[in-house]
Amino acid sequence: MISIRERGKMGVGLFILSEANFFLLLIVAYVYYHAYPGQGPTAASALNTARTAAFSVALFASSATIFMASRAARRGDSGGLVRWLAITIALGTLFIFGQAKEYYDLIESGVGVSRNLFATTFFTLTGFHGVHVIIGLVALSITLALAMAGKLHPETRDGFGAVEWYWHFVDAVWVVVFSVVYLWSAAS
Amino acid sequence: MSQIVEAGVAPSLVPSEREGLLAWIASVDHKQIGILYMISAMFFFLIGGIEALVIRIQLLAPGLHIVSPETFDQMFTMHGTTMIFLFVMPMLTGFSTYMVPLMIGARDMAFPRLNAMSFWIQLFGGIILYFSFVAGGAPSAGWFAYTPLSEKAYSSLAGVDYWILGLACVGIGTLAGGINFVVTILCLRVEGLTIRRLPLFVWMTLVNSFLMIFALPLINAALAMLLIDRFFNAHVFDPAGGGSALLWQHYFWSFGHPEVYIMILPAFGIISEVIPVFSRKPIYGYEFVAASSVAIAFLSFTVWAHHMFAVGMSHVANLAFGVASMLIAVPTGIKIFNWTATMYGGRIRFTTAMKFAIAFLITFTIGGLSGISFAVFPLDWQLTDTYYLVAHFHYVLFGGSVFGIFAGFYYWFPKISGRMLSKRLGTWHFWLTFIGFNLTFFIQHVLGLAGMPRRVFTYPDLPGWYAMNLISSIGAFMLGISVLLLLWIVFDGINHGEPAGDNPWDAWTLEWATTSPPPPDNFDRVPPVHGRRPLWDLAHPDRADEVMAKL
Amino acid sequence: MDPIPVFAPASPLAHALSALLVGVFAVLVGIFLLVTTLVIYMIVRYRDRPGAPEARQIFGWNALEVTWTLIPAGILAVFSVFMVAADRAADPLIPPGRKPDLEVIGHQWWWEINYVASGAVAANEIHIPIGKSILIELKSADVIHDFWAPELGRKIDAVPGHPNTLWIEADAPGTYLGTCAEFCGVEHAWMRFRVIAQNEADFDTWQRAQLAIPPAPSAPDALAGAKLFADKTCINCHSIAGTAGNQTVGPDLTHIASRTMLAGEAARNTPEELFRWLKQPDAIKPQSHMPDFKLTDDEAHQLVAYLEGLK
Repeated sequence: MISIRERGKMGVGLFILSEANFFLLLIVAYVYYHAYPGQGPTAASALNTARTAAFSVALFASSATIFMASRAARRGDSGGLVRWLAITIALGTLFIFGQAKEYYDLIESGVGVSRNLFATTFFTLTGFHGVHVIIGLVALSITLALAMAGKLHPETRDGFGAVEWYWHFVDAVWVVVFSVVYLWSAAS
Repeated sequence: MSQIVEAGVAPSLVPSEREGLLAWIASVDHKQIGILYMISAMFFFLIGGIEALVIRIQLLAPGLHIVSPETFDQMFTMHGTTMIFLFVMPMLTGFSTYMVPLMIGARDMAFPRLNAMSFWIQLFGGIILYFSFVAGGAPSAGWFAYTPLSEKAYSSLAGVDYWILGLACVGIGTLAGGINFVVTILCLRVEGLTIRRLPLFVWMTLVNSFLMIFALPLINAALAMLLIDRFFNAHVFDPAGGGSALLWQHYFWSFGHPEVYIMILPAFGIISEVIPVFSRKPIYGYEFVAASSVAIAFLSFTVWAHHMFAVGMSHVANLAFGVASMLIAVPTGIKIFNWTATMYGGRIRFTTAMKFAIAFLITFTIGGLSGISFAVFPLDWQLTDTYYLVAHFHYVLFGGSVFGIFAGFYYWFPKISGRMLSKRLGTWHFWLTFIGFNLTFFIQHVLGLAGMPRRVFTYPDLPGWYAMNLISSIGAFMLGISVLLLLWIVFDGINHGEPAGDNPWDAWTLEWATTSPPPPDNFDRVPPVHGRRPLWDLAHPDRADEVMAKL
Repeated sequence: MDPIPVFAPASPLAHALSALLVGVFAVLVGIFLLVTTLVIYMIVRYRDRPGAPEARQIFGWNALEVTWTLIPAGILAVFSVFMVAADRAADPLIPPGRKPDLEVIGHQWWWEINYVASGAVAANEIHIPIGKSILIELKSADVIHDFWAPELGRKIDAVPGHPNTLWIEADAPGTYLGTCAEFCGVEHAWMRFRVIAQNEADFDTWQRAQLAIPPAPSAPDALAGAKLFADKTCINCHSIAGTAGNQTVGPDLTHIASRTMLAGEAARNTPEELFRWLKQPDAIKPQSHMPDFKLTDDEAHQLVAYLEGLK
C-alpha cells in the first residue's frame, strides 16, 4: 500500500511515463527523417558533437548534485541542501546557455527550423527537451527559495522528491537524445 | 454533520460555507468539479448535436444547398471533435471525478488543485476551439485532420490552428486527470478496500487513466509538430516539402485508437455497476471483466493502423494489424456475456438506468460486430470511409459510450442532486432515444454498402440514397427531440424531484453510504469494507460476499 | 447500377471481397441474434414481478468464461485465415516487370488518367477492356484522395509522395460508378468518376479516338469558341491536343464531348449544363477551382459549341 506521503513522487512518476511517450514520438520522427534525408544540412554537417558533449556534462553532473542535495536534506543539513541546489541550478543553466549558443550558431549559418527535415526534427526534439529543462529549473528555483526560507520540512520532502525525479528524467531524456542525435546520427 | 432532508426542500447540490458563483469557480472539491464537468459536457453535447442536425438537414435530399460545402465541412469536423473531446470524455471524467473518491471512501482526489486545473483547462480548450468560428472559420479538415489537407497550403485559415491549440489544452487536462485518478485510487482507498475489491467503475477508471497517461502524449507530439509545420513553414507531415503524410496518420491513430477505449472503458464501468444493482446480484465474473479491461488497455496500443488499411501498407503490415484487431475484439466482446449472465437468476428492475444499460448490450454488440468486419482487412477495403463506417462508430460511441453515460446519469443523479428523476419521463426519453438512434444509424450500414462515401456535403440521386438519407435524418430529428426532453427531465428533477435519501436503489457501493448529496467531507463515517459490496455485506452478514465468495 | 454495389461484384477481385463479406456477415448476424436472444430471454424470464424468487447471488463460473472466451477467439482465428485468402484474391501480387496500364492522378477535385501504353489521356471517365486485369498506378497531385469503384475492386488511397498500385477488372461491359473515398476538401462529394468497360473492339475504337487530334472547328460559333478558349486563358489550366493548351491544372478537354458527365459528375454533359457550368461554376460545384470568367451568354454559347465539337 503506497503511503499518502509518496503521492507527489507517484504523480511525477506517472507524468514521467507520459512525457517519455511524448519524447518517443519526437525521437521517432527524428530517426525516420534521418533515414530519408532530403537536401541540405545533416546532423553530420551541422552539429558540433564535442561542444555539445561539454555542455551535456554539465547537465549530467547536475543529476549528481541534486542527489547530493537530497542526501543533505535527509541528513537535516540545510546549508548543504541550499548549496547543492544552487549548484544544480547553475549547471542546468549552463546547459541551457550551451543549447542557446548552439541554436544561435545554427540559425546564423542558415539552419533554421524550416530549413529541411533534419533541422525541423532536430529543433523540435532538442527544443522540447530544453523547455523541459527550463521548467525543471523553475521548479528547482522554487525549491531553493523554499529551502533558503527554511520551509523545506520533512513533510514537503515528497514535493522535493518529485522535483528530483523530474530532474533525473530530464537528464535521462538527454542521455537518449544526445546518443541518438549527436553520437549516432551525426556519425552515420 | 449529516443533513436531514426535509420533504420538498431541495438540498443544495453541494453544501458548503461559501455559496455563489465564486465558490464554484474557486472550488477544489471533487464533487463540485465533477458537476462542472457534467454541465460543461452537456453544453457541448447540445452544440455537437446542433452540428449533427445541420449535417442531417443538408443531407436530407440529394443536391441540396442549404449550407455551403465549406460550412458543411466545418460542421462535421466540429461535430466529431466536440462530441469526442468536449462531451464524451469530459462527461465520463465528470462521473469519475464525482464518484471515484466516494466509491473508495476518500474525502477528495489526491491532488484537488490539479483536479480543478484539469477541468478549467479542458473548458478553455473548448472555448479556444469554438473561438475559431469568429476568427476566420472553424477547422474543416475533419476531426483527425489528415495532412496535407490540414497543412497551411490547403487549410490556409486559422481553423486548424485553433483545433490544435484547443486539443492540446484538452489533452493536458485529460492527462492531469489521469495522473490524479491513478494516485487517488492507489493511495486513498479506505481500509479494507483492496484492489481486488474495487468497484468496477473505479477499476475501469484506473485502467482508463493509464491509457490516458500513455496515449495523450502521442497526440500532443503530433499536434506540436503539425503546429510547427503550420507556423514555422516546416514539412514534417507535408509531402510537398519531403515530409510524410502517412507519418501523421500513424502518429494520430497511435493516440486515436487508445482514445476510443478511453471513451468506452468508463462506460463499461457504469454498465458494470448498473446491471448488478438492478438485477439484485453481483457482477458475473468480476475477475474476467477486470482482467479483460487490462488486456484491452495493452492491446489498444497495437492495433492503430487498422484505421489505415486503405492507405497502401504492405501485406504483412495489413495482416499484423488485422490479426491484432481481431485479438482485441475478444476481451471487448466477452464482457457482453458477463453482463448478460449477471441478469441470469436475477430479479430485474427496469429503472431508466437499467433500460439504457440493457439497450447498451444490444447496440454496443452491433457496433462491436461491425467493427470485426473492418478487422478483416480486405473487407475494410470496401467498407472504410463509407457510411457503413459512420454507422459502426456511432453504434459503439453513441450506442456504447452515450447509452452508458445516460445509464450513469439516471443511476447517479439522485446521489448528486438529492432528487429522484421522473420514471415516466425517463421511459419516454429512453424510447425516443433508442428508436431515434437506431432509425438514424442502422440504415447507414446499408447506405455505406450502397456506395455512399462519408464526409460528402451532398450526393447524386442514386437508387435508394434519397430514401435512406431521409430515414436517417428523420431519426436525427427524433434524437434532437429526445435531447430536449432530457433537458426538461433534468430541470424537472432538480425542481420537483422526490427527495432521494441516501440509497434509493438499495445499491451496495460506498457512495450510497452517505447522504444525497454527500456532505463536504463525503462521509461522516465510512462503513467497514470486507468485500466488493460493503452495503450488501452490512445488510446480509450471514450471506456476506466474503463468506460466499471468499474475497 | 446495382443499388448495393458492394454485393454486386463485377470482377473476380470484387467477388472475392463480396463473398467474404457475405460469409462474415452471416457469422456476425448469427452472433447478434444469439446475444439479442439471450438478453431478451434474461429480461423476460428474470424480471421483477410479485412472487419472483430472490436473486441468486452467483459470482461466476470460470469454465464457462474460458469457454466463451475461446469460442469467439476461435471464430476470429478462422476469419484470419480467410483474411489472407481474400487479400491474395483482391490484391494479387504484381508479377515482376509488370508495368501499370493506367496512371491515375487524383487532383482536387478531378481524376487524371493516363494510358501508359498508348499515351491516351482521359479525365473522370475511364474506359477499360473487359476481362483484363488492369493495373493502376495511383498518385496524387495535392492531398490524399481515394479511388473506389466498388463493383470492380478494393479502394485504395492516392497519397502524395507515396504512389500506390491497384488492380481493377470488369467481367462484363457496363458502366461502373466510382468515387473519391477520402475527404479531400470542399468538393470531395463531386470527385466522382465512372469506369466504362467495353469489349476489346469497342475499347480499341475508343482509345484510337482519344488519341486523335480533333479537327479545327469550322462552324462560326465553334471557331469563336476556340478563340475564346485561348483568349480567356482556359489554356492556362486545360489541355486540348492541337492547341496551345497543355496544362494539367484542370482536366484534359481534348475529347470532352465524348464524356457522359461533367465536373466530377456534378453535372451531365449536355450543352445546357455545360453552358450553366461555364456561366457560373459555383452554382454546380461551389468553391471548385474553376473560376467564374464572367462570360456573356454569347461567349458561353460559343465555348459550348467549340467544346461539344471535341468528340
